[in-house]
Amino acid sequence: MKTLRRPDATALARHAGWPLLLLAALAAGQVLDDYAVTVAGTILIYAILGLGINIVVGYAGLLDLGFAAFFAIGAYTSGLLMLKLHWGFWATLPVAVLAAAASGVVIGYPTLRLRSDYLAIVTLGFGEIIRITVVNLDVTGGPNGLTGIPPVTVGGREIVTPPDFFYLALAFFAAVLVLTGLLARTRLAYAWRAVRADDRAAEAVGVPTRRVKLLAYVLGAAVGSVAGPLNAAQLGTVDPSSFTFLTSLMILLVVIIGGMGSRPGVVVGAVVVVALPEALRTVQEYRGLFFALLLVLIVLVRPQGVWPARPRRFARPAAAGPEPAPPAAGGGVLEVEGLTRRFGGVTAVEDLSLRAGAGEVVSVIGPNGAGKTTAFNCVTGMIAPDAGTVRVAGRRVHGLAPHRVAAAGLARTFQNIRLFEELTVAENVLVGRFARDRSLLRPPSRADAAAVRRCLEFTGLAEAADRPAGGLPYGDRRRLEIARALAAEPRALLLDEPAAGANPTEKRALMDLIGRVRARGVAVVLIEHDVALVMSVSTRVVVLDRGRAIAAGPPAEIRADDRVIAAYIGVPDDPDAGLQAEVLR
Amino acid sequence: MSLLRVEGLRARYGQVEALSGVSFEVAEGEIVALLGSNGAGKTTTLRTVTGLQRARSGRVEFAGRDVTRLPAHRIVAAGLGHVPEGRRVFPALTVAENLLLGGYLRRRDRAAVAARRAEVYAMFPQLAERPGQPAGLLSGGEQQMLAIGRALMLRPRLLALDEPTMGLAPQTAQRVLRAVREIREQGTTVLIVEQNAHQTLRLADRAYVLETGRIVLSGPASELAEDDRVKAAYLGGDPAVDPAP
Amino acid sequence: MSDFVQYLVNGLTIGAFLALIALGYSMIYGVVRLINFAHGDVFMIGAFAGFGVLTTLGATGGMALPAVLAAVAAGALATGVLGAGVARAAYLPLLASPRLAMLIAAIGVSLALEEGVKVLTHARFKSYPNALDGGQVMSGAVRVTYGQLALVLLAVALMAGLWLFVTRTVTGTAMRALAMDRDAARLQGIDVERLVLATFFAGSLLAGAAGVMYGLYYTQISFGMGFLIGLRAFTAAVLGGIGNLPGTMAAGVCIGLVQSFSAGYVSSRWTDVIIFGLLIAVLALRPTGLFGERVVERA
Repeated sequence: MKTLRRPDATALARHAGWPLLLLAALAAGQVLDDYAVTVAGTILIYAILGLGINIVVGYAGLLDLGFAAFFAIGAYTSGLLMLKLHWGFWATLPVAVLAAAASGVVIGYPTLRLRSDYLAIVTLGFGEIIRITVVNLDVTGGPNGLTGIPPVTVGGREIVTPPDFFYLALAFFAAVLVLTGLLARTRLAYAWRAVRADDRAAEAVGVPTRRVKLLAYVLGAAVGSVAGPLNAAQLGTVDPSSFTFLTSLMILLVVIIGGMGSRPGVVVGAVVVVALPEALRTVQEYRGLFFALLLVLIVLVRPQGVWPARPRRFARPAAAGPEPAPPAAGGGVLEVEGLTRRFGGVTAVEDLSLRAGAGEVVSVIGPNGAGKTTAFNCVTGMIAPDAGTVRVAGRRVHGLAPHRVAAAGLARTFQNIRLFEELTVAENVLVGRFARDRSLLRPPSRADAAAVRRCLEFTGLAEAADRPAGGLPYGDRRRLEIARALAAEPRALLLDEPAAGANPTEKRALMDLIGRVRARGVAVVLIEHDVALVMSVSTRVVVLDRGRAIAAGPPAEIRADDRVIAAYIGVPDDPDAGLQAEVLR
Repeated sequence: MSLLRVEGLRARYGQVEALSGVSFEVAEGEIVALLGSNGAGKTTTLRTVTGLQRARSGRVEFAGRDVTRLPAHRIVAAGLGHVPEGRRVFPALTVAENLLLGGYLRRRDRAAVAARRAEVYAMFPQLAERPGQPAGLLSGGEQQMLAIGRALMLRPRLLALDEPTMGLAPQTAQRVLRAVREIREQGTTVLIVEQNAHQTLRLADRAYVLETGRIVLSGPASELAEDDRVKAAYLGGDPAVDPAP
Repeated sequence: MSDFVQYLVNGLTIGAFLALIALGYSMIYGVVRLINFAHGDVFMIGAFAGFGVLTTLGATGGMALPAVLAAVAAGALATGVLGAGVARAAYLPLLASPRLAMLIAAIGVSLALEEGVKVLTHARFKSYPNALDGGQVMSGAVRVTYGQLALVLLAVALMAGLWLFVTRTVTGTAMRALAMDRDAARLQGIDVERLVLATFFAGSLLAGAAGVMYGLYYTQISFGMGFLIGLRAFTAAVLGGIGNLPGTMAAGVCIGLVQSFSAGYVSSRWTDVIIFGLLIAVLALRPTGLFGERVVERA
């Protein structure tokens, strides 16, 4: 597959930057004195921790104030296995990683439903629980921790001198770097960025957000935990006082100073966090104060960090590939029966029934606040209906999570346009593919790339593929939402006011687009205020008023219906009638 | 002289330009309507005029004073009341507390606030019946009346209303619009934003039509109600007629 | 049995302090959606401010009530001003930024306050002058001193005062409105920035008062005392349902009891494991706290 990438300076930096940095580090190991090499080794340990927390905080946007817990779990697991069971260092490593990953599940699972702010306190509490537990238990050596941990042996050689240890840490760092680099290419990385940008929208277009968040904890913990055994090997001890809240804060600072989501930023952050206090050793007393003020200053002056992330862009594929076969026509694609939803004492949607077959356009109209969007949200699983059934191609989907409804073939757009603003146009469409294919731990497939290309061309957005979605003009944003919805090759497409704010030219383009979508055998359900547009594109129209369908039928019938005119359209031919007369009709 | 004069207003919504040079004016004693479909920029216009959102360029003059850069609470203090879209009453506060906050700027003069509250109750008797009820438990129409009553507590010179009939039953909508007429009769100038043109054009003296962030039509309400383009776009006409000028 | 009653009494005393601190977390979160990490350190500064006043006045022995009240008032006022000043300098500029930015600023401020006091006090403990009456309301197996009783009454009075302020005054009502809908509050002519600062002032004031009272009760204070107490108080705020003031007060007392009983029946070494374990368990089952939040989130 051909990718389009210009050979400019940034591309050079992207490809040559890391090898050059590693080479420089190799050389540095030869020239620096023991003290400097020891500091450099500690920088690498923090860089590894930083790469771990970067997955949680940087990619997935989940705040973690107790990351030192995973550092501790790695160190204690490895140390205990070496001391009590006399395992070798290398044998303990996978166990330490597994233990941390398991604790990632323990902390991740209960917090999935929580608001982001509460995550902060829960992760902090978890960090404290781990620290206090190891201090209190006898098996972990209490406040004294573990001592007498044997050095690492590599090919029969004991790693004891600072330069040797530095090279060992460098090898670990390089391995973690490669691993996180691979991770950054997977579909999971795009899912994380989508969840970070707008987790409800991500869920609605098919991303299994809970699993994706949990994986962030698990993988972040696993990556970061590698630093634990390494640190234990460097010092020969595991000291519980090195896993305090302050340590968690230092690890968090590594990504905040560097720029969240940025791997080069992690290196910059690790250097600042470790080397700066060393440089300030002469003013030992004021070190903490200085550090704290620096933190406040960085947030106030550069909230993005010093090396803001430039995430790997999803490269636009050159060829679109063949059209997929349209879904089998016939029968009701979307069938809604007796849908009811109340909020407190107010019935927002009452006993709504709706059917849309393949290739049909069914429009739902009604005044603002009539319950149209609530009905959409019930159908797509974003809110649970109090009663009623929803079927997609004969399959029950009510009660399912929104991402499962999307996977069943029901795609939607939002009234107030919910794009993933920092992602490119092509990446937005790629995230829409999750409803079709939920696999996470592999790069986007050829089919993904072909579908993205096809949807962009279908909606006329191919030229804008590499631009960030947040910078698109209004009309293009609407179309991008449709492209993202189409990426999953849905059976039914729900459009929530797609013509809102559009000018007449854009409206005509939209009508054309809707026509082409239905021509592919997709059932289209449209919420729209523009009566003219609705009347010209719809096969059938349903009129909602205060949660109830007051009329349903072909456009011509609806236009002549008295109740509809009274409730919604108004009486255009009767300008002399008084306000009261009109409204009371 | 016009009470409110808006010139070349530009503003963003998120990263997108929502207003690209909106100009209009409202004279003392008028009811002026701002029409347009969802997303045309009506709400952004009101929010920018009343200082909830920052204008990128342009000028807002109220009562002969440049208020473009003033924060919202100072603009309210200058006499421009705003009933926001979706009513936005304080749901966990009672009816009486909501009205009390409407008079926040006069909070030192308790007697005056109480007297004004009595006047508002007289205007909306439904509110007077349940001063102790949390606003969140009121019906949509009652919430709208509360939102309007709250904005009237300071006796604004101009009251801006954002979609006051949204989601209301016809009878309720009618009552709200009748109240708007009454408010004007009591001497308050009204700027009303609506999506559904019909009833609004009946109520207003003059109207402006907003489309993708620009004013595309303006004139006396009675003339606009007869305009083919308005009929086509906002009153449910023939799609073959292009509503663009 | 008498052990049980003693733990109960101690727990209620600690709970009263915790509730005072938790109220500040809850109020501040309500209006700006910020977990004010520096709040525990504001409490610590309050303890030191009160210490300064008491040592200057030289009140020792007996019921030096005027001196104690002066110390509480001075500590509360100093922290109120500090809290509002910090908010003005470090939080308000970030009001429109992503919420994480403000949280990190708060962590920075917390560290700065702690480290600042550490430098000034040379990292030493300070001993509060013994200004409380040692006389006992109850003696024998269960011990309750007059001083202890006075502190609890004072805490209850402060909470009642806050409650009256928030529910009965226009400014207090405006604060509640601000927590519900910032834009709608602006449209009532409320100067939102000023009211946010007023909220920080009030919340910090209570924390400062609690700091002085803590010093009087435990008699030892240090730069690091705010961290754990702050965490426990925050736990109380979350358990009580953040923004829900009666819930917060109740949860503060609960946490105080948990602390006292776990120290008595298990071991004080495990107190925080129990408290945080409780926090995680409760949030996993009820994501909005035991008593439900009063925070309105708009979709």
